[in-house]
Amino acid sequence: MAAVTLKNVVKRFGVFEIVHGANIDVNDGEFVVFVGPSGCGKSTLLRMIAGLEDISGGEIAIAGKVVNNVEPADRGIAMVFQSYALYPHMSVEQNLSFGLRMNGNPKADTERRVKRAAEILRIAELMKRRPRQLSGGQRQRVAIGRAIVREPQVFLFDEPLSNLDAELRVQMRVEISRLHKELGVTMIYVTHDQTEAMTLADRIVVLNAGNIEQIGAPLDLYDDPANRFVAGFVGSPKMNFMAAKVVGNDGAVTVELANHCGAKLRKPLSGAAPAVGTEVVLGVRPEHFFEAGEGDCDIAVKADVAEHLGSVSYVYANAGPEELIIEREASRQRANGDHMAVSIKADRSLLFDKSGARIR
Amino acid sequence: MRYQNATAYRFLAPYLLIFSIFWLWPIISSFLISFQATRTVPWRFAPTFNWGRLIGDPAFFNALKNTLLILVIQVPVMITLAIVMAVLLNSPLLKARGLFRFAFFAPVVVGEVAYSAVFRLMFNLDYGIINKLLNSVGLPRIDWFSNVTPAMAVIMIAVTWRWAGYNAIILLAGLQSIPQDVYEAATLDRVSKLKQFFYITLPLLKPIIVFCAVLSIIGTMQLFTEPFLITERGGPGGGTETLGLLLYRQGFRSLNFGYASAIAYTMAGLAIAISLVQLWLTREPK
Repeated sequence: MAAVTLKNVVKRFGVFEIVHGANIDVNDGEFVVFVGPSGCGKSTLLRMIAGLEDISGGEIAIAGKVVNNVEPADRGIAMVFQSYALYPHMSVEQNLSFGLRMNGNPKADTERRVKRAAEILRIAELMKRRPRQLSGGQRQRVAIGRAIVREPQVFLFDEPLSNLDAELRVQMRVEISRLHKELGVTMIYVTHDQTEAMTLADRIVVLNAGNIEQIGAPLDLYDDPANRFVAGFVGSPKMNFMAAKVVGNDGAVTVELANHCGAKLRKPLSGAAPAVGTEVVLGVRPEHFFEAGEGDCDIAVKADVAEHLGSVSYVYANAGPEELIIEREASRQRANGDHMAVSIKADRSLLFDKSGARIR
Repeated sequence: MRYQNATAYRFLAPYLLIFSIFWLWPIISSFLISFQATRTVPWRFAPTFNWGRLIGDPAFFNALKNTLLILVIQVPVMITLAIVMAVLLNSPLLKARGLFRFAFFAPVVVGEVAYSAVFRLMFNLDYGIINKLLNSVGLPRIDWFSNVTPAMAVIMIAVTWRWAGYNAIILLAGLQSIPQDVYEAATLDRVSKLKQFFYITLPLLKPIIVFCAVLSIIGTMQLFTEPFLITERGGPGGGTETLGLLLYRQGFRSLNFGYASAIAYTMAGLAIAISLVQLWLTREPK
C-alpha cells in the first residue's frame, strides 16, 4: 500500500501543454477517480503515474519516493488498460503468470499468486482459454487478475469498463469496489463516466482541459461544486442552468430569471453579494424542482418530451431558449405540449457568475 | 431465386469464359500434355513417357537439388533479414521512415534485366566492386561465375536483395497491427525489449511470417530470372540450374512440351506440399 503525490505535474506534447500543473494527494488505500470529458488529460495523468509517459514538469511520488526517473516496472504499480491489453497468443494462466515467469519468480510463488488472483476474480475455470475465447467481462477480469498477481502498491485503471455493455459495466463496477475492499490497496481509476466516478470513488478529481477543477468526496462534489463545470459534470441528468440577473442586494441576493417572465428568487449568501445588474447563472438540479407553491419561486414551462424510467420520469421542458430537465415522480400524464408549473427552493439552487465561478 | 441466380451467372459469364479459356484450360491442357510424347508428330498418348523420364533424369535431380538448396538457405535468411528490417522500420527512433520504406521496397520495382546486369558487374572477377572490397581487406578475389558454390551464393544474395524489402514491408504491416498497449503491459511486467520481441512480437507476427514464407517458397520453386541472367542459363555447367530454368530449357529450347509440363506439375506439387507442411508445422493450437 502506498500514497501517491503529484506536485505541479505538467505534461507537454511539443508546444502543447496538456496538463497544467496538477497537484493531487492520494492517500494510502484510497480509491480516487479521475473524471472529466474526453481530452481533459486524465489518461495522460494516469500514464505519467505509471511511467508510460514522461513528465514535462513537476514531481510524482509513490510511497514517499519520487519516481520521475524510475522505470515503470519499479514503481510498484499495476495497470489495467481500457483495451485489456491481454497477450492474445497466451492462455489466461500464461497471461497472469507471464510477467512473473519472465522475471524468474519462483515457480511455486507464481502458482500461488495466479491461484489467488483466479480465486479472487472467480476465473479459475477459464485458465486454459485464450483471450479470444472470453467475453468482454471475462477479459476484463483477466486484465485485473494480471494486475493482482504483481501484488502492487497502487492499482491504476484506465477506463477499464468503457468497452463493456451497460449491464456488465454495473456488475464489474461492483466487483472492482469489492476488490478494493478486499485488497485494501490504493487505487487510481480514470473514467469519463461520472456515474462510475460517483459509485466507486472515495474521492473524485474532476479534470477539465488539463486543469483540476475540484477534488472531493462524491457527495461533496454533488452538493457543493466549486464551479459551473463541476456542477454540470457531476450528477445525471446534468444540472439545469438558467440565465438570471441580480435585481436586489440586501444581505441576500435577489435574482430575476431572464427566460421565466420575470420570476424572482431571493437567495441568502454567505459571502459578498454581486452588484445589482450583474448577470449570473442559476443552477438547479433536475431532482430539485418542486411542485408549484412548495418552493421560493414558481416558474411555468411547457413539456417537450417525457422520459419514463419507471421509478421517475424526466420531463424535457422548454422555456424560451433554455431547455430544462425536470425530474418528476413517475407519471404517465406528462407528455408533449403539457403546461406545468414547478418551484425552485433557494437552498436547493446554486449561483454562478458569468465566468462559471460559484457565488456562495 | 432461380431467376436471380440465372441473372447473376449471365453477369458472371464474361469472366467465367475468359477464366475458362485462359486459366482453367491451360492448367488442364498442360496436365494432359504431360502424359503425351510431344517430340513426335503427331503427339501420342504415352502416360509414363515424361513422368518416367523425370524419375530417372539426372538434370531434373540436379535442378531439384539446386532449387531446394536455395530454398533451404535463402528463404530463412531472407525472412530473418526481413523481420529485422521491419523491426527497424517500425522503430520510433528511425527518422525519414518513408524514405527507408521506399528504399527497401525499391528493388522490387527495378527491372529484372537491369538489376541482373548490375549484379553481374558487381561480382565481375576483374573489376567488380565485391572483389575489389575483398582485395582491400586482404582477401583473395573470387571467381564468382566459374565455380558452383560462389555462383550459387550470388544467386542467393541477389534473390535476397530483391525480395527481403518486399517481405519487410508486409511484415511491417503486421508489426503495426500489434496493439501498443500489449507492449506497455509487458513493460509494466518488467519484460525486457528483447524478451518482448521473442515472446510477444514473434508469436503475434507468426501468421504474417508464415504467409511470407509460403510466398517465398512458391517464388523460389519458380526461380528463373537470376540463374538465367546472372549466372548465364544456370552456369557454370548447370551448377545453378533450377527447376524453372530446366522447364524453360525443355519447353522453349527443346520444344519438349510434354516433359516441360511434367516438370511444371512437379514444381507446383512440391510448392504446395512444402507450403502445406509449413502451415501444418506452424498451425495454431486449438
